[in-house]
Amino acid sequence: MKDFCSSISKLLEKYFDQEATGKEKLLVEGHLKDCPACQDALRSMEELRTLIKTPVEEAIQKEDFPWVWQKIERDFRLQEKPTWWQSLRSWLDVSPLFKKRVWIPAVATLVVLLFITAQIFFKKIPSYSGASVVEYVESETNNVMVYDLEKAKVTVIWLFEEPEEEVSPS
Amino acid sequence: MNLEETEMISRCQRGDQEALKEIFDKYHKKVYRIAYGVVRQREEALDIVQEVFIKLFHSIKNFKGRSHFYTYLYRMVMNTAIDHARKTGKQFISSLDEEGSFQPSDDLEKGPERILLQKELEERVRLAMDKLPAEQRAALIFRDVEGLSYQEMAEAMGCSIGTVMSRLHYGRKRIQELLKDYVEMQSQSRGTSPVSKGQNPQKL
Repeated sequence: MKDFCSSISKLLEKYFDQEATGKEKLLVEGHLKDCPACQDALRSMEELRTLIKTPVEEAIQKEDFPWVWQKIERDFRLQEKPTWWQSLRSWLDVSPLFKKRVWIPAVATLVVLLFITAQIFFKKIPSYSGASVVEYVESETNNVMVYDLEKAKVTVIWLFEEPEEEVSPS
Repeated sequence: MNLEETEMISRCQRGDQEALKEIFDKYHKKVYRIAYGVVRQREEALDIVQEVFIKLFHSIKNFKGRSHFYTYLYRMVMNTAIDHARKTGKQFISSLDEEGSFQPSDDLEKGPERILLQKELEERVRLAMDKLPAEQRAALIFRDVEGLSYQEMAEAMGCSIGTVMSRLHYGRKRIQELLKDYVEMQSQSRGTSPVSKGQNPQKL
């Protein structure tokens, strides 16, 4: 009988885990009727299951899971990288004044002011980009070049004097 | 997998955090059971729950629906819990070395003897569980706490049914060995002689 108990031990475990087939069930149940040791083994497995399960079930009763979800949500917020637009929006939303959408006309006014300032600033700087040779005159004594600077309304005249001729040794 | 769950998962795959909240509401206790069963420490089990749902949200796009969603989730829980258990493995073993021998607690006088004995025994089982390899511990939790079938366990653990049975068998056998004195005491109280080693390993 003990040899049979040894050979049936794996089947007994399958039977206990409700994984035995119909034939295996019949075999195990037939054996269990006459074997107190295997009945004892089955009870022991049941006790062990209770001993493993009970502390886990008790632990779960004590937990506050909404708090765990809050931690998960907070983690998501930290992980999310905001786009530049979201960053700008959140920055603008810091002030209660901005929350009232006053920032839209404020930004528009700022842009207009910047544009006007830029116009004034750039007008004061002379630009020579439109310079061009208008005329070049050659004569026996001097060469004259005339530049006309369109934007600055300036005319520049270069006068090229001919260098004195060197006396060659005779 | 029912229609409601399929819809919930596909919403989550599209990045809907509300859908993840619904999955959390449905599965958090199961996740905690497995995590707690494997690591046996409250704070760590809660950390695992948090980690698993964050991982799930980022990796759920890879879920193709070929297996049950819960086995996909359980696999994630088991891997995360085993990683945690391995990291803190030294701590578990030293805890068992210090407390391995059964000493009745001083609390015995404070309450009904039976309840306290039960608590002592649960504590001994806990310490014995800590001494098991993480895979065997997870197998016992899947079967004895969550009630998964061998097939579901094989899917969740990414192994064959034979391996599942082997892990369960050796896990149970190891716990019985660690609780040998209790086994003998129980056998005497039942009037059955303890079976010699190797003949019937299921006795507790």
